[in-house]
Amino acid sequence: MESLIIEETKYTPKISMDAASGVIEMSGKSYPENTFDFYAPVMKWLEDYFTTTNKIVINMEIIYFNSSSSKLFFDFFDLCDEKRDTHDIEINWIYDADNENAEEAGEDFIEDFEFLRINLVVKK
Amino acid sequence: MSSSDEQSFSNEQALIAELEAFKASSSKTIDKLSRDLSRQKRIMERSDKRQQREYDELQTRLQEIRDLSEEIEATQREVVFTMGSIGESRSKETGNHVKRVAEYSYLLAKFYGLSEKECQILKEASPMHDIGKVAIPDAILNKPGRLDDAERKVMDTHARLGYDMLKHSKRLLLKTASIVAYEHHEKYDGNGYPQGNKGEEIHIYGRITALADVFDALGSERVYKAKWSDDKIFSLLREERGKHFDPNLIDIFFDKLDVFLEVRDRLTDIK
Repeated sequence: MESLIIEETKYTPKISMDAASGVIEMSGKSYPENTFDFYAPVMKWLEDYFTTTNKIVINMEIIYFNSSSSKLFFDFFDLCDEKRDTHDIEINWIYDADNENAEEAGEDFIEDFEFLRINLVVKK
Repeated sequence: MSSSDEQSFSNEQALIAELEAFKASSSKTIDKLSRDLSRQKRIMERSDKRQQREYDELQTRLQEIRDLSEEIEATQREVVFTMGSIGESRSKETGNHVKRVAEYSYLLAKFYGLSEKECQILKEASPMHDIGKVAIPDAILNKPGRLDDAERKVMDTHARLGYDMLKHSKRLLLKTASIVAYEHHEKYDGNGYPQGNKGEEIHIYGRITALADVFDALGSERVYKAKWSDDKIFSLLREERGKHFDPNLIDIFFDKLDVFLEVRDRLTDIK
């Protein structure tokens, strides 16, 4: 399976989904013009990848994001949640100490996905 | 059981299985839909809250930037004005000379029809017109009485010296000041210095500050001359219309004389 790399733009994050290591990284801002189109290949990749492996690490460092991105992240975590019994999934939600919004968003995800392993990681 | 009964039984079984599968998949869809719906409200509320906070933060940052840029501009103005004053103080001219030249330049620019922004910039840059004098020796700069030819030559270099000091700047204010320093001794008929340009070859800023500077200098006491009477000043300005000075600016000056005299009264040097 091939890796998926999407370069960062003014409105969209850098996304790197490494097939060899099973590490998924998203960093930057998320204000795509059409959020669901933008993330469609990401969702597709993740679904396909679950069929090939059972260990995944997801590092997310999203500074700002719009409401449809928020919805999308829930969908993304839903996909993970469905596989939580068969796969080893670790999610690191990374944020700057002074970014209160990102911190709260991470707390929201933990609250909603109580059975997923989501770690809040404060960047120093 | 007949074979047709058997057939019908297996059909029923298949149908039931299909229905069960449909039930399972629709229940999954319904679960997802209801979860999405209940989540939707929370997502929107949280997003609204987040966006409001981001908006507040952006506003705060924007205000900080506005304050900073105001601070920078004010600092620039002050530095430029102070530099102008340094030039003046070395030649022992009175402190309000630069202020008056600034005001006259602003008014001339305004009545001439330049944009408000340009008028402001010229007002702030014009105090620098004599900045080149910082490089003129005291013996010449403060010599009582007339300068001889050699001394005059040295004195006249102050225009180019000022220009050389300022010309490298990319800042609009300092660029404007460099034009003013360079061209405020040019004369409309081409008999000025350092370039000897004539008419509209001389930048409007140069033509304006030439008039503002001379009008104020004539009305002030200097080490080498007494203060002139208004009649004498006005007749010289009229005489030099189209020679030393841009005729349009002379017309504007006399047309709005009251306004200029008001500024002069307001900024009179207190002895």
